[in-house]
Amino acid sequence: MSAQPGHRAVVGLAFFGYLALTLLIAILPAASVQNTPGLPGVAARSALAEEGRVIYLREGCGYCHTQFVRDLPLDRPYGRGTVAADYANEDPPLPGSERTGPDLSNVAARQPSDTWHLLHLFNPRAVVPQSVMPGFPWYFEIKAAGAAGDVVVPVPPRFVPAEGQVVVARPEARALVAYLLSLRQPELRK
Amino acid sequence: MLQRRGQDPTLRASVASDGPTVRVTFEYLACATVWLLVGTAAGLLDALKLNWPDVLAVQWLSFGRVRPIHTNTVFWGWSSMALVGLALYVVARTSRAPLWSPMLARIALVLWNAAVVAGLVTLSAGVTRGPQEYREWVWPVAVVFAAGLVLNGVNAYLTVATRRIPEFYISNWYILGAFCFLTIIFATAYVPLYQRGLGNVVVQGYFMHTAVGMWFTMLSLGIAYYEIPRVLGRPIYSYALGVLGFWTNILFYTLIGAHHFIFSPVPWWLQSAAILFSVGMMVPVWAGGGNLLLTFRGASGALQRSYSAPFLLAGVVAYLLVSTQGTLEAFRSTNVYWHFTNVTVGHSHLAMYGFVAFMIWGAAYGLVPRLTGSEPNPILVGIHFWLALVGYLIYVVSISTAGVLQGFAWVAGESFIRSVEAAEPMWLWRTAGGSLMVASHLVFAVNVWAMRPGRALAAVLTPPTVEASA
Repeated sequence: MSAQPGHRAVVGLAFFGYLALTLLIAILPAASVQNTPGLPGVAARSALAEEGRVIYLREGCGYCHTQFVRDLPLDRPYGRGTVAADYANEDPPLPGSERTGPDLSNVAARQPSDTWHLLHLFNPRAVVPQSVMPGFPWYFEIKAAGAAGDVVVPVPPRFVPAEGQVVVARPEARALVAYLLSLRQPELRK
Repeated sequence: MLQRRGQDPTLRASVASDGPTVRVTFEYLACATVWLLVGTAAGLLDALKLNWPDVLAVQWLSFGRVRPIHTNTVFWGWSSMALVGLALYVVARTSRAPLWSPMLARIALVLWNAAVVAGLVTLSAGVTRGPQEYREWVWPVAVVFAAGLVLNGVNAYLTVATRRIPEFYISNWYILGAFCFLTIIFATAYVPLYQRGLGNVVVQGYFMHTAVGMWFTMLSLGIAYYEIPRVLGRPIYSYALGVLGFWTNILFYTLIGAHHFIFSPVPWWLQSAAILFSVGMMVPVWAGGGNLLLTFRGASGALQRSYSAPFLLAGVVAYLLVSTQGTLEAFRSTNVYWHFTNVTVGHSHLAMYGFVAFMIWGAAYGLVPRLTGSEPNPILVGIHFWLALVGYLIYVVSISTAGVLQGFAWVAGESFIRSVEAAEPMWLWRTAGGSLMVASHLVFAVNVWAMRPGRALAAVLTPPTVEASA
């Protein structure tokens, strides 16, 4: 005769025990913090910036850029420590796990120029020679000359594929820049 | 010393193994091998893109799209299919019963392949839930995968339930447990009711952590508890330690997902509990890993005779190393230096490659030739072992060094680009190591082909005409 527990007891305890632990450590804590309100006086993103956020998600920008500032001296360059309210209206929030590039929680305050961002998206090495970020040339059009309403990006000649051509931002690039320029940490009231 | 082909009696086809189960195991392993090649090609491509950012600069192959393709393909394609293929055999064998339904296992395999293909297509097309690691697949893809998961779980459970011996062997605790856990984990990750704002971050910590430790680790340990004693021809060092490891792993491992978000707005008690139980993880890790290691004690003869034992030993050692490293990474003090750096990438490869992949290879080389009667060339198995081992050691050491250099640059308050420059030479070494790893996978694919069920199995399957019972 074996004194060992049978498969029903072990599997049953493992399943329901695990379900209970999951409730305790994931589902209930998540439910208790998910309705943290956003910071007062923070305007919703523009429709263009929201389009940009979708592009940011699908291009996987969040694998290299965090939006999660720790309240630590080494994170000071990126802004104040992230608080729950910062993620209130983010679906999904993008804290991230790796900083191959810098944190972007407050990038609009650090780098407010839309021209810089357009250049950087077209080819990061046009503005930061040592950068390893991928360029997104498919969000730009190479044309003989800019037409009315075109956003012409002042790309240095050696980064323009054909001589004498101009680089024009497509709507996707403009949306992405609008999103990046919406990343500005609201002040916390003391 | 490498054994000459066909001379190891433990590698002969066993008449006790039943044909349909063997074929199902082999089909899982063969599909898994395809996904190993695809998934690691994606990984190598992304490694190259950090060395030369403008290489293959097309949208669907850009870094941010290839990254989730790499992780999801090696997780749900390679590791899951290979582990489950082996686990279904272990479940049947330790129950002294045929697999409850080979047909159900085949349907599940079709569903999983469909999910992995759909995942590849959607992610490269930019259809994604965003960078929520390992749950990037949109829900219809995840549902197809989950359906396959439940079918396999039911199949494994019913095989054990209809077993022909009273014992419920420890391997089956881990394997049936793994199916329960991942079902709960997937459901928790995809149900949206509690995932607004910070709620999503809490679930993300839980998901990316437990999907690894309660699925891949559990299956790997379950297979190890069968395969290591079998290959060494001796019982497991301690059955009781295996049981202790099982329950403490469930308790401690589940509670520590929040250590991925130390210093975040995630509730402080959750972070502190995660750090505390990360220390507690030393109990299941050293109970389980130590148990397997002690089983190897004095078995140097088997290490020389068997070409699968070196893989299994390397896997056990990596399990102990990576889990201990995981505990060290969970502290607030080490978080300052290591978090957000490439140390994380080194850690994940030590786990999913050094531990999980080596366990799969050890079990595959130990079991499959015995089941199908077809052996791979031992020289090629040796080449696979050394390419993979040297490759991943170069990979892990160089990428972890890159991470430490990044951390030092940030703590020193240098401008961000200095951390990129500091990591760059290490990223070249990482690509070199990764190339050896990919090369080893090509050798493995050749060996899998050599181990395919052939005439030997057919002979075993038609008993009256066989004299192959020796």
